[in-house]
Amino acid sequence: MSSGRVVITGLGAVSALGAGARCNFERTLEGRSGIHLLELPGKHQRPGLPAAQIRYALPEAIPVSEQPLFDRNALLGWIAASEALGQSGLGALDQQEAAASGVFWGTGMGGASTVEAGYVDLFVEGKSRVRPMSVVAGMNNAAAAQIALRCQFKGSVNNYSSACVSSAQAIGEAYRHIHHGYAERVLAGGSEALLTYGVVSAWEALRVLAPSPAGHPERACRPFAQNRAGLVLGEAAAAVMLESLESAQRRGATILAELVGYGASNDSTHITKPDAGGQARAMAMALRQAGLAGHEIGYINAHGAGTAAGDLAETESIKQTFGADAGKLMVSSTKSMHGHTLGAAGALEFVLTVQTLMSGSVPPTAFLEQADPQCDLDYVALQARHGQAIGAAMSNSFAFGGSNVSLIVQRHG
Amino acid sequence: MTTSLPTVIELLAKRLDVPADTIQAQTELEALGADSLAVIELIFDLEETFKIQLGDERPNLVKVQDIADHIDRYLADRAEAV
Repeated sequence: MSSGRVVITGLGAVSALGAGARCNFERTLEGRSGIHLLELPGKHQRPGLPAAQIRYALPEAIPVSEQPLFDRNALLGWIAASEALGQSGLGALDQQEAAASGVFWGTGMGGASTVEAGYVDLFVEGKSRVRPMSVVAGMNNAAAAQIALRCQFKGSVNNYSSACVSSAQAIGEAYRHIHHGYAERVLAGGSEALLTYGVVSAWEALRVLAPSPAGHPERACRPFAQNRAGLVLGEAAAAVMLESLESAQRRGATILAELVGYGASNDSTHITKPDAGGQARAMAMALRQAGLAGHEIGYINAHGAGTAAGDLAETESIKQTFGADAGKLMVSSTKSMHGHTLGAAGALEFVLTVQTLMSGSVPPTAFLEQADPQCDLDYVALQARHGQAIGAAMSNSFAFGGSNVSLIVQRHG
Repeated sequence: MTTSLPTVIELLAKRLDVPADTIQAQTELEALGADSLAVIELIFDLEETFKIQLGDERPNLVKVQDIADHIDRYLADRAEAV
């Protein structure tokens, strides 16, 4: 009989901060920013725009012969997923085990660069056709499918595309999937790689992107700060191996933490403007599911994208949810360092939250020199805090379209 | 008559990341690890290289030589048309 408990046995991450879950976490503890001025391939540029772009050579994860099948989105996805799979120590599966193994993945725009390259071929270059693998590489579920194929996971393989909660939603739904006995294990997470001329131009037109402070693009994203100036786009992927407690125990896996709460809601108030009430409903649902009181949460990795509307709504929703305990919480936005990685954001920040819980070291909100007076929580400004006794931690993700997701992890053992 | 075989081998080697001298005319595509999608990509590259456009026919391509023959037919047709 399954207990319905869901544990985490592997982590993976790749972002502008570096490759590897641990590397990403350590860089956030150091307060290091992965943000630089955006450099797009080709002649079309958005000069002066900061972005959390991966500028180092990626690990060789895919054979040359298979590269046409992979958009950058799926490539990043597999790099993170294979790290989580490797850490979990999961070996070859028999048919029954494979059928009880799934992939739940999130992405906002899937193979954005493949789709855009096709448009360039047709409308700019005047060609009459596009690359043959445009559909296979560009489809939104490409990363999920490639991960399942490579892991030989033959259970449910689902793709979630809900803007900036995509991968948090994937992790939460994977949690429910295992909790209710539909699978023994799910490789869950998300990826985003949409730093293309067309997509960046679309975001710029929305007037939400932060400009570069003179000579210091790395300081462009300043959530909760009085001088905040907007969000900074980033690319990344992150993954967690989720398993039933029984599956992990049966094979003697190292359990990193337990996923105990998932809350989801929709504002249904405005297509882009966040709503504190909707966010609070997601947090409250996650707490109820976890069976935890507000004072038992020690840390929140905030959505904290660096927009005025977002910062104020989240500060308010945390107060609504936690009441008098809100002031005792440590709340930080690591987006100040890895940028807003959109569909990958929930998973990346969840991976950082799990490591915060495990280590007792809390990453700061970087570049938060003077908080907005209306943002009056403890945002762990500038410096990491070490030696913190954290029993449970929350990761928040909120999205255009009004979707809100809160995930809660608890120490195991 | 022009033969595309050296180019087919060169592009195939590049696409599959194997040394060109391991590919012979009679080598089976499956043995090289070239599945149907890899062959579609290869033909696209050959079309670009030779500036031809193949039709909708679906020839049975088993060996490397089969691809070269398929391309060569188009090259021959083009030569006749000139």
